[in-house]
Amino acid sequence: MQPMENERPLPSSLHTSAFRLALAYCGLFTLGVSALLGAIYLITARALAAQVDNVIMIELEALADEYDREGAPGVAAELTRLQAGWGRAGAAYLLVDRNFIPRAGNLTSWPFKGLPRAQWPEFEIETQRADKPVHHRVRARIFTLTDGYLLVGTDISQRRNFQHSFRLATLWGIGSTALLGGLLGFWLSRRLMLRVRAMSAECELILAGDLSRRLPIAGVHDEFDALALAVNRVLARLDEQTHVLRATFDSTAHDLRGPLSRLRGRLEELLRSAALPEPAGASVERALQDLDRVQRTLTTLLQIAQAESRAPLADSARVNLGALAREIAALYEPAARDQGLRLHCDAADAFLTGSRQLIAQLLSNLIENSLKHGGGEIHIEVHDSGSGARLTVSDRGPGIAPQDRERVLRPFVRLAGGSTAGSGLGLSLVAAIARLHEAQLSLKDNTPGLRVTLRFPLPAG
Amino acid sequence: MRLLLIEDDREAARFVLKGLRESGHTVEHAADGREGLFRATEGQYDVIITDRMLPHLDGLAIVQLLRQQGRDTPVLVLSALGTVDDRVRGLKAGGDDYLTKPFAFSELLARVEALQRRRSGFQTATTLRVADLELDLLGRRVTRAGRALNITAREFTLLEFLMRRAGQVVTRTMLLEGVWDLQFDPQSNPVEVHISRLRQAIDRDFDKPLLHTVRGAGYVIREEPQ
Repeated sequence: MQPMENERPLPSSLHTSAFRLALAYCGLFTLGVSALLGAIYLITARALAAQVDNVIMIELEALADEYDREGAPGVAAELTRLQAGWGRAGAAYLLVDRNFIPRAGNLTSWPFKGLPRAQWPEFEIETQRADKPVHHRVRARIFTLTDGYLLVGTDISQRRNFQHSFRLATLWGIGSTALLGGLLGFWLSRRLMLRVRAMSAECELILAGDLSRRLPIAGVHDEFDALALAVNRVLARLDEQTHVLRATFDSTAHDLRGPLSRLRGRLEELLRSAALPEPAGASVERALQDLDRVQRTLTTLLQIAQAESRAPLADSARVNLGALAREIAALYEPAARDQGLRLHCDAADAFLTGSRQLIAQLLSNLIENSLKHGGGEIHIEVHDSGSGARLTVSDRGPGIAPQDRERVLRPFVRLAGGSTAGSGLGLSLVAAIARLHEAQLSLKDNTPGLRVTLRFPLPAG
Repeated sequence: MRLLLIEDDREAARFVLKGLRESGHTVEHAADGREGLFRATEGQYDVIITDRMLPHLDGLAIVQLLRQQGRDTPVLVLSALGTVDDRVRGLKAGGDDYLTKPFAFSELLARVEALQRRRSGFQTATTLRVADLELDLLGRRVTRAGRALNITAREFTLLEFLMRRAGQVVTRTMLLEGVWDLQFDPQSNPVEVHISRLRQAIDRDFDKPLLHTVRGAGYVIREEPQ
């Protein structure tokens, strides 16, 4: 398997798009809540103010009428009456003469220097409550009489209190909205992330070749479930097609064996029968050799298909890769020497779980590949890396260009300029056996030459 | 040799029957699994050759039933299932040998003869002899005409395998299985170089060659008649 280069770890909860989205929503929501509360505040404050002003105007007009009818003493009597009775709360009255000397009302003195300019002047008064001075803000309207002035006002410190409470409530509201939004965002993003993580973990397993696996469905009918369902449908289709393809291939391969068997039988019968005239005999022998090659290709294809299907191995066991490499190297060493090549084997004991026969075939294919293409020296190395057995087969041949290294692992790919001998299946079988054993296969430049490395996982148990 | 062939493919059976008879063996034929099992239990055979996939009764099932009855007649399983894994499975199921279709007839013949020989037992002697060639199993020494030969450990194993089957053709896949324990057939033929090295060691300095190549079949160690 090619190591994946673009692999990045999944982001932490704080860097997910879900969290960013939640944060943005939270900000927007807070802004909305602030605007809404602000509007409510303004409207309420204005309505309250209008109500205060309205009450003042009504009283002022009533008192002015009294003045018109009864004059200043009438107004004074009315004010005394108002104060004595259940007057409205927070009301302030003051009737003064032309020199602002008080004549009646519940204020002790004229609160302004002369006549204020503002239509609705405001001033502070001080009252005693439980021996403590309390300040009140009063909003007032002044009416000019023929012999003095009439002031009617209302204590608006209540309104101030309302403003203050409202502001506090608004701040709390915004603060808790932001906090709740943030927490909710974090929780939501975490939940989504865990689901995405589960899905991508499953995808890795599927990518590793197990097409029977499916993405998890949470059963909450959300968009993730919809996505998982869609992906699962794609997987099911892929799985089905792979099965059909494999079954077709298997039955074709098996069906071919019948006619091939009979063909071989007839050719051999011909060869065994009474001496053939010479060109015919040689032709039959060549036909048998071709048949051998066809058969070998078919067997290798079946072997690849079987390895890719990941059916459980018949002879899975603990295999000493080092010892096996030494044996296979010894098998090929004389052949290499005959070709003028040197085959070095530097193999320490290292173990893996798998099929001894398939691993032997993998070794043999790699060595044959190097014998075919490599020049000078071939090195076989095995060592235990601590995280599993490592095998390296390197040669000094022409090597494989970086852009071809993945392609060459596919069946029937022969590189341009390469030898036409061989089925073009050797490295595909190596790749299939490596995948079956969950080994990482990498082809690298041996500067010059080809360097094939296999990293096997730790043996089971 | 008296042989039983259980094979449902008539045409394939015809070639095998003809070939075996031409090689001087007596062969009976059963065309399905039930008949095969019946004949195998009733008759006396030196070796049984059975196809793996048969009508009525599977070839591997026949082997298992025979073994349950205490019959140890050697069985060669023929199969269209040809991967390494299929071989291992077939041998685990109790077959004595496993051959993948299509096979060369010479391969079948060599294996059948080897199975029969195996049944009649190996020589228990500590020294194997072919003409003036002697292999001392205890001392792990090889001499020819009294002269010690210099051979490697691997060549010794190879020679022992051949000498135990002296006079009998051994194919290269039989050598790969028996000497190297490999159940597959490599693209190239690494065994051939080992044989030629062994031949150098035992035949080069002597007039009469003992290790012969049988064209299209394999190798044999024997004293050729003059």
